[in-house]
Amino acid sequence: MTVVSTASGLLAMLQESHPTLKLHALKNLNVLVDNFWPEISTNISAIESLYEDDTFYERQLAALVASKVFYYLGELNDSLTYALGAGPLFDVSEDTEYVQTLVTKCVDEYILLSVKAAESNESEKTALDPRLVAIVERMLDKCMQDGKFQQAVGVALECRRLDKLEESIIRSENASAMLSYCLRLSQTFVSRREFRHEVLRLLVKSYQGLQQPDYLSICQCLMFLDEPADVAAILDKLLKGDKSEALLAYQIAFDLFENEYQKFLLNVRDLLPESTSASSSAPLSVTNGGLIQGTRGNGISAMTDGGPTAMDSDLTEPLLGSYAAEESADVSAPPVEERTSYTERLTKLKGILSGETPISLTLQFLYSHNRSDLLILKTIKQSVEMRNSVCHSATIYSNALMHAGTTVDTFLRENLDWLKRATNWAKFSATAGLGVIHRGHHQQGRSLMAPYLPQNGGTGGGSPYSEGGALYALGLIHANHGEGIKQFLLESLRNTSNEVIQHGACLGLGLAALGTADEEIYEDVKNVLYTDSAVAGEAAGIAMGLLMVGTASEKATEMLAYAHDTQHEKIIRGLALGIALVVYGREEEADTLIEQMTRDQDPILRYGGMYALAMAYRGTANNSAIRRLLHFAVSDVSDDVRRTAVLALGFVLCSEPEQTPRIVSLLSESYNAHVRYGAAMAVGISCAGSGSSEAISLLEPLTSDAVDFVRQGALIAMAMVLLQTTEAREPRVATFRRQLEKIINDKHEETMSKMGAILAQGILDAGGRNVAIMLQSRTGHDRVTAVVGMAVFSQFWYWYPLIYFISLSFAPTAFIGLNEELRMPKFNFVSETKPSLFGYPPSVAPPAATSAVKLPTAVLSTSNRAKVRGAKREAEAKASKATGHEAGAGSSSSKAEGLVDGDKDSTHAAKDENAMDVDGGTQKKAVVVEPSSEVLSNPARVVPAQEKFIKFREDSRYAPLKLKRAPSGFVMLRDLTPSEPVELVSTDTPLSAGGAGTAHANTNATAIAVEDNEPPPPEPFEYVP
Amino acid sequence: MGQDVEKRPVEVVPPSVLSQLKGVIASIEKGVLNKEMRLMARANRQMFAVRRQLKTSTVSAIMKHALPAGSDALARLSPFVAALEKSEKDMDVDSPAITGQSHGSQKQSVLPEVEIFCYLLVTIFLIDQKKLKEAKACSTAAVKRLQQLNRRTLDFLAARVFYYYSYSHEITDSLADIRGTLLALHQTATLRHDELGQETLLNLLLRNYLHYNLYDHAEKLRSKTQRSDSHSNQQLCRYLFYLGKIRTIQLEYTDAKECLLQAGRKAPASARGFRIQCTKWAVIVRLLLGEIPERTTFMQPGMRKALRPYFELTNAVRIGDLELFRHVAEKSSSVFTADKCHNLIVRLRHNVIRTGLRNISIAYSRISLTDVAKKLHLDSATPVDDAESIVTKAIRDGGIDASVDHSNGWMQSKETGDVYSTQEPQQAFHSRIAFCLNIHNEAVQALRFPPDAHKKELESAEKRRERQQQEQELAKHIAEEDDDEF
Repeated sequence: MTVVSTASGLLAMLQESHPTLKLHALKNLNVLVDNFWPEISTNISAIESLYEDDTFYERQLAALVASKVFYYLGELNDSLTYALGAGPLFDVSEDTEYVQTLVTKCVDEYILLSVKAAESNESEKTALDPRLVAIVERMLDKCMQDGKFQQAVGVALECRRLDKLEESIIRSENASAMLSYCLRLSQTFVSRREFRHEVLRLLVKSYQGLQQPDYLSICQCLMFLDEPADVAAILDKLLKGDKSEALLAYQIAFDLFENEYQKFLLNVRDLLPESTSASSSAPLSVTNGGLIQGTRGNGISAMTDGGPTAMDSDLTEPLLGSYAAEESADVSAPPVEERTSYTERLTKLKGILSGETPISLTLQFLYSHNRSDLLILKTIKQSVEMRNSVCHSATIYSNALMHAGTTVDTFLRENLDWLKRATNWAKFSATAGLGVIHRGHHQQGRSLMAPYLPQNGGTGGGSPYSEGGALYALGLIHANHGEGIKQFLLESLRNTSNEVIQHGACLGLGLAALGTADEEIYEDVKNVLYTDSAVAGEAAGIAMGLLMVGTASEKATEMLAYAHDTQHEKIIRGLALGIALVVYGREEEADTLIEQMTRDQDPILRYGGMYALAMAYRGTANNSAIRRLLHFAVSDVSDDVRRTAVLALGFVLCSEPEQTPRIVSLLSESYNAHVRYGAAMAVGISCAGSGSSEAISLLEPLTSDAVDFVRQGALIAMAMVLLQTTEAREPRVATFRRQLEKIINDKHEETMSKMGAILAQGILDAGGRNVAIMLQSRTGHDRVTAVVGMAVFSQFWYWYPLIYFISLSFAPTAFIGLNEELRMPKFNFVSETKPSLFGYPPSVAPPAATSAVKLPTAVLSTSNRAKVRGAKREAEAKASKATGHEAGAGSSSSKAEGLVDGDKDSTHAAKDENAMDVDGGTQKKAVVVEPSSEVLSNPARVVPAQEKFIKFREDSRYAPLKLKRAPSGFVMLRDLTPSEPVELVSTDTPLSAGGAGTAHANTNATAIAVEDNEPPPPEPFEYVP
Repeated sequence: MGQDVEKRPVEVVPPSVLSQLKGVIASIEKGVLNKEMRLMARANRQMFAVRRQLKTSTVSAIMKHALPAGSDALARLSPFVAALEKSEKDMDVDSPAITGQSHGSQKQSVLPEVEIFCYLLVTIFLIDQKKLKEAKACSTAAVKRLQQLNRRTLDFLAARVFYYYSYSHEITDSLADIRGTLLALHQTATLRHDELGQETLLNLLLRNYLHYNLYDHAEKLRSKTQRSDSHSNQQLCRYLFYLGKIRTIQLEYTDAKECLLQAGRKAPASARGFRIQCTKWAVIVRLLLGEIPERTTFMQPGMRKALRPYFELTNAVRIGDLELFRHVAEKSSSVFTADKCHNLIVRLRHNVIRTGLRNISIAYSRISLTDVAKKLHLDSATPVDDAESIVTKAIRDGGIDASVDHSNGWMQSKETGDVYSTQEPQQAFHSRIAFCLNIHNEAVQALRFPPDAHKKELESAEKRRERQQQEQELAKHIAEEDDDEF
C-alpha cells in the first residue's frame, strides 16, 4: 500500500450515496485512524450518522471508527458508548492502549452505575447496559483465570457484585486467606453500611461453608451484624465439644469482649442456656483472684485428658478435626461428668461475656505491674502554685490518669492536707478521681466510695460536691459494666434534688449503663433534664447520649426539640453531645439529623453536628464526612464549630492514623488559634499511641505556639501520640518530657498551657504506664467505650471534670495467657528485640538540688534512701491513720506486699538493671551491652508495636490457641503436657480496699529500686598518716 | 560484545567530565528516589554543560559505570561507541593506552531512568560526532525501550529522548517515517497524564507537519488535542512559534503576530537561531498587517546579518515602492525560500501597493488616478483602470479614507480627524497596561517557592513571644512617660 498523506479522499467518499463506497471508506479509515484522526475528527458527524443509519449494514464498523476517533479526542465517555455499539468488532482481548483504556473506563463506569443503582430507590433503577456488564464480567473471569483473586475481589466489591465476590472466594486456592482479606476490605473500603452488612453476611456464609470453619472470624462478622443469637449458638456448640473447642469458645468470648459492645455481649450471654446449678461462685472465685493452691491445680490437671501432640500445626483447625474423631471414639467418658463440665464451662463463658473475668484479670495485671513514678507527681505538686486552683486540680487529674485502673491511691493518701484545698467543683473532681484510679474494681468499688456517698437519710454531713463526685466515681469504676451498680445510682438520683449530686449521678448512670438503652433510667434522667437546671441538665444531656449510644432512636429528635426550647447554653451543649452519641456508628443513617444540626442557627447545635459527624463516621475515613468537616472547619462563623470540625477529623480518621497529619497539616498553620487547637487534638486522637513521626513533627511547633490554649492542646495531643513510646524508638520523647518539666516549673508560663503540661504528664504515664489509648480493637472494630470516652473527654474545654472520660479509652497493653480454667499458668515467651525499645521509661532521677560533689551518686542515693525511709514511715503512719479513718474500709495484707517484690524481681530484672545503668552511669566504666532479646513471663506488658517481635518457644509447655492472632490481650493457651501439675502465677490482688497495703507495697517497691542504686564501696586504700 | 569493550584499554579520562557525569547519574537516582522532577531537570542541565567536552572514552566509561555488565542496554549501546572508538584510534595513534578502571558496575539492577539517560547521552554524542545514521538507530532503540516503561519519573528524560529522536530523523530527512510513532507516543503520554511528554510530542508533531508544509494537518491536530498549562518554557516557545506560523498561513495575522512576538520574547537569550527565525516571521507578519517594525528590530546584536534581506524588504514596503520591492524579493529569493516564507512575500506585494496608496492619500487631498498609477509604478497595459480598482479596493478594505470620482478620474481624500479625540489612544494605552499586567502575572506564576520555607518562621515562635513581651514593656514604659509629662 502506498503511503497516504491525507485522509480527505476517504472522507469525501463517505459522502457518496453508494453503500459500497462508504464501506470501503470506513474500512480504510479504520486502518488509518491512528495516524489521521485529527482529520477524521472534523468529519466525525458523517461517521456518526452512518452508525445511526439503520439501513447501513456495517453500522458496527462505523461505531468502531467513531469510538477510536473519540478516544483520540479524549472523549472517553463517547468513545465507550460507540465501542459498546461496535459489538463484536470491539475486541477486548486485543493488547492495545485503546482497548486497555476503554476496558478500564468500562469497569469504572460500571462501578459508578452499579453504586448509583444500589443507592437510589428501587423505582429509579435504570437497567444497566448488558454489553457493559458482559465486558466487566469477562474481565472478572479473566482475573480469576490468571489467579489474581485479590483484584477480582476488589473489583467485585466495588461493583457490588456479591455473586462475583462469592465466586472469586470459592475459586481461589486459599479461601480462608481470601476471606480474611475480604473482611479487611469490607471494614476499610466499603463505605456504605448496608452493603457492608450484606458482604459480612456473605462472608459468614462462606466461612461456614469452609471445611474447618474459622469461628473466630465468624463471630467477629456476626458481631458487626449484631446477631447475638448466632454467636450464642456457635459458642454453645463449641462448649459442648472437646476441650480445645471450649478454649476456642473462651477465646472468642474474650475477643468479643475486647470490642466492648456491652449490649451485644449481654444479649449473647442471655441467649446462652441457663446454667443449672448455682455455679456463679466459680467466676467469682476467679475474679476475687484468691491465691491458687497447688493442690487445686493438681485437681484440674487430673481432670484433663490427653492433649494434642501435633505441635507444628499452624492452625488449630486440623487439630480440632482429629480431636473430634478422638472424642467420638472415646465414649467411655461418663455423661454426668460431661454435663457438669459443660455447666462449668458455661458459667466461665458467661463470666467472660459479662466482663467479670477479663476486668478482674486486667485489674490484677495493672495492679501488679504498676510502675508509675511518684516522683513526677511530687515534682508537679511542688512546682505548682498553691493558689492556682486550675493547676491544683490539674495535678489531681494527672494523678488519677497516671494511676488509672491500678487502685494505687498512695499519692492522694500521702497528701491529704494538700488535697483539702480542693473546694466546690474541685472537690467533685478530686473525689471522682478515685473512680478512675479504682476503675474496674467492681467488688470493692462501692465500699471504697462509701465514705463519700450520700447517706440514705439524705441529710448526710458530706458536701454535695464530694457526694456528686462519688457517684460519678462509681460510674467510672463500673463504666460499661454497670449491672450491679445501676440500681444504686438510680436511687441516688431519685433521692436528691441537689443539682451537683444530680450532675454526678447522671454522669455515673450514663457511664454505668452505657449503650444499654434502658428506658427506666432514661425517663429518670429526662426528668432531671426537664428541671431546666443548667448544671444538672448538662450532665443529663450527656447521660442520655451515653445511655442511647448507637441506637439512633427517636429520642434524638426529642432531645433536639428540648435543646431548642431551653435557654441554658450548658444544657444545649450537653444535649448536642448527647445527640451526637445517639447516632454513633450509624453512618448514612444519621445524615438527616446531622444535616439538621449543622444547619441550625445556634452555633452550639452546629457544634453538636460536628460531633455527630465524628461519631456517626468514627473510624470509617469516609470521604464525604471528611469533606463536610473540612468545609465547616474553614467556613463556619463560630470558632467553636470550626475547632470541633477539625477535631472531629481525628475521630473519622482514627482507623487511618497515617492520613491525619497530612490532612490537617494546613489547618495546623491556620491563622485561627481555634483551628490550630483542633488540628492538634485531631492528630492526638487519631494517632494516639502511634509515636508517628509526622504527627510529632506537626505537633512540635504547636507546643510553642503563641496562643496558650493551642499550647495546651498540642501538649495533650503530643502526650497522647507519645503514649508508651520509648526514647529508644523516638528520641523526641525525652525532649518532650524535658519540655513538660520546663513548662510546669516556669513561673511565667500561662496557666492554660501549664495545665496542659500537667495533664500531658498524666496521660504520658497513664495507668502505671501499662495502658495505651486504643480507639480500635485488635480486630479493627471500633471500641465503643473508648471512642465515646474520647469524645466526651474532648469536652473538657468547657467542663474539666469530663477529663476523666479519657480513662475509658485506655486499654491495658498486656499479654495475659490463660489455661482452660481461665487461670494464668506460669509460662515464658520471648520478645526478640532490645528491652529498651519497648520498656518503661526510666524513673526520674530525684532532683539534684545539692551541688556537684565528687561522688554525686553516692550522696544522692543515701540521702534518697533516707528520704524514702522517712517517706515510708510517714506513709505508714498516714495510711494507718487513713485506715482508721475509714472504719472497716480496708484491711492490710502483708502477703500481697511480699508477692509484689517477688514478681517485680523476676519480671523486670533486666529493666531494673537498665534503670540502674542510667542512674549510675557516671561510675560504671564498662558499658553494658544490651541483650537483643528479653524473656517475658505471663502475664506481661506487651506494647502494640512490640507484638510482632513476640515469639513463643518451641519447647514451651503452653502454646497459644491461635498462632495467627496478635500476641496480646487475652490469649487462651493450649497445654501440651496436661499430665503434669499446673503451676500457676501467684497473683497479688488489690484485696484490701487500697488502704495501707497498697501504700505500703508501693513505697517498698521504690525502696528496692533505690537500694539497687547503691554505689560500690570505696576502693581499699592504704592509710598514710 | 559488551565483554569485548570492557577488556579494551581505555585512555585516561579527564576526571572532571567523568565525575560530573557521575554526579548527573547520582542526581538522577536521587531524583527518582524523592520523586523530585526538579533534580531531573538539573541533571539534564548538568549534562549539557559537559556536552561539548564529551569524548568517546568518557562515554564508554560512564556507560560501564552506570550500566551493569551484561545488561541489555549495555549490549545495545556499546557497539555504537565501539565503532566510534575504533575510528578514533585509527586517527589518534598516540593516545596513551592505560589500563584500569574497566571493571563493570557491581550493581545488578539499574534504574530505568539511568538506562534511558545512557541512551540519551549516546544519542547526543553520536549527533555531535555527525554519526547521524547511528544516532537514528540509537534513538529509535531508546524510544522502543521507553514504550515498554511506564514511570512518571521518566517523563523528563523521555521528553528529551523524543526530541533527539525527531531531530536525528529530521537531519537525515526521514521525518515522515516517524509520524505514526510520534502520534502513538503522544496518545500514550496523554493517557498517562505525562504533560511534559505531551507538550514535547505535540511540538515535534507540529514541526513534522510543518516540515512538509502540511499546515492543514498541523492545525487540525493542534486544535483537537487537549492542552494543559505549559510545563516547560522551551516547549511553550516552540509551540507559540509553530502556532504563529500556522496562523500566518491561515491569514490570522493579528493572532500570529502575538504568538510570534511572544515566542521571541520568551525564548532564552542563548537560542539565537530560534529568535532569528521568530523575528523574521514576526517582521513579515507585521508587514502584512500594515505595520512597519522599528529599525532597532533589525539591529539586534548578532542578528543584523541574518535579518538584512528582511530589513531591505521592510524598507521597500515602508516607502511603498513597488519597484524596489520587486528588486529586493528577487535578490534575496533564495533566503526567503530557505525560510519557507516565499509565498508570504508574494502576499506582501499587495501591502506595498496599499502603503504607497496611503502615502499618496496623506500627501494629496485630491489626485488624478493617472498620477496614482505613475507613482505606484504600475506598468500594465491599462494603468488607470488598474489604479482605480486598487484604490477602490483599498477604500473598501479601510486602508485609506477617500473616495473616487470616476467621472473626473481622481481620488479625493477625506480630511483626517484628530486621532486624540477618538478612543484610539485609550485603547492603545489599555493594551499596554494589559500587556504589563500579563507579564507580571506570568512572572509571579513562574516563581518557585521552596516547600516548607514558611515553617522556619514558625520555629521562632518562642522568640516572637519574647519580642511581644518586650513590645508590651516598651508600650508600658512609653505610657508611663506620657503620664509623667502631664
